[in-house]
Amino acid sequence: MRKTITVILLIVAVIMPFLAFDILPVIGDPQSAPNTHVSDYYIEHAIEECNSPNMVTAVIVDYRAFDTMFETTVMFLAGLSVVIILANRPKKRIPAHSSLKRVRHSGGRPVFETVNKDVMISVIEPLILIYAIYVLFHGEVSLGGGFQAGALIGMTYLLDVMVVKRDKPIFNLSKTKAAAIAGFGPLIYALTGIVTILGGGLYLEYNKIPLSVHQAELHSIGITAVEIGVTIGVAGTIITILSALMERTSFDDDND
Amino acid sequence: MMTTINAFLAAKGIYMLTLALLALGVAGIIVCNNYMKKLICMNVMQVAVIFFFLCLGQKSPGTIPVAVDTAVKASEYINPLPHGLMLTAIVVSLGTTGVGLSLLLRIREKYGTIEEDDLLRREELMTRKKKDGGDRN
Repeated sequence: MRKTITVILLIVAVIMPFLAFDILPVIGDPQSAPNTHVSDYYIEHAIEECNSPNMVTAVIVDYRAFDTMFETTVMFLAGLSVVIILANRPKKRIPAHSSLKRVRHSGGRPVFETVNKDVMISVIEPLILIYAIYVLFHGEVSLGGGFQAGALIGMTYLLDVMVVKRDKPIFNLSKTKAAAIAGFGPLIYALTGIVTILGGGLYLEYNKIPLSVHQAELHSIGITAVEIGVTIGVAGTIITILSALMERTSFDDDND
Repeated sequence: MMTTINAFLAAKGIYMLTLALLALGVAGIIVCNNYMKKLICMNVMQVAVIFFFLCLGQKSPGTIPVAVDTAVKASEYINPLPHGLMLTAIVVSLGTTGVGLSLLLRIREKYGTIEEDDLLRREELMTRKKKDGGDRN
């Protein structure tokens, strides 16, 4: 039964583009509907209105700032719901499946026959963090932005927790603490909007920030503040999900 | 004949690929017995939708949407709007995957398995045991 439905679905999926031949635009056509109208305005006015050569950043945190604000809130809520779903005290750690157990050396530690990951990760981590900071603060000028920087910072934490075996972890963030940190992201974002209201503008109207610098610079300041909020939100959520899942699972090379 | 097919594939062929990917995800969700695999198939489906939107933003002679001095016209850059929208969609898909994983952990803790048929059998056993206990009281 299941197989039949699946085969029918696949056949429909192959036939559908032939039926929708006239509706869908030709790939790479500059005159197609998605590539005209508002998109041209974004491309032509991004630099003078937002002082942001990276048009994707201009679109997501300036023209459509409300959208991104609530996307960040959705990320925070996802992290919060992971904490709530896993709020009960775990009865016991789920042991690794017996077929996954690695044959151990007599010393009790797994045998490394390749690059020593304990050393290499410690070298790579600072470089990833530097790159994350570059991506964050250069997000409006070149490729990058808050989401990517947050993902990089979260992944650095993930690497440190999952790969390196430390007796005492450098940052030991529990899931509730990480969720609290993630909450600061949407807060910073929302406060940026309130600052622009105090300056006499609309919500998230960056050129009304009450600072005495050039009009274009105000947009850069506003975009950077918002990007920092997004970064904290995304990084905090990744760390929340990771630490909530890690406290209940075990791996074959765990000490306990 | 050959040129017609070539022209069609160049103009609209990519939509077939994204729809095939979407169908692959849906088929995986229906067929797979393991909830973890179902979650992975959901991610494949999300990737298909993201690809579809990115296809719409493509312009033939365009460069990436970062302003350079030599290009000033709108037709010289690809459409930044689908990229911006899909950037947030990718990050939100990470959040939904996290929520799905935590639900899987709870299922594993309650039933001891994430295989669907195993789980249904155990569920039946548990309700029968509960009913028997209720009768005795």
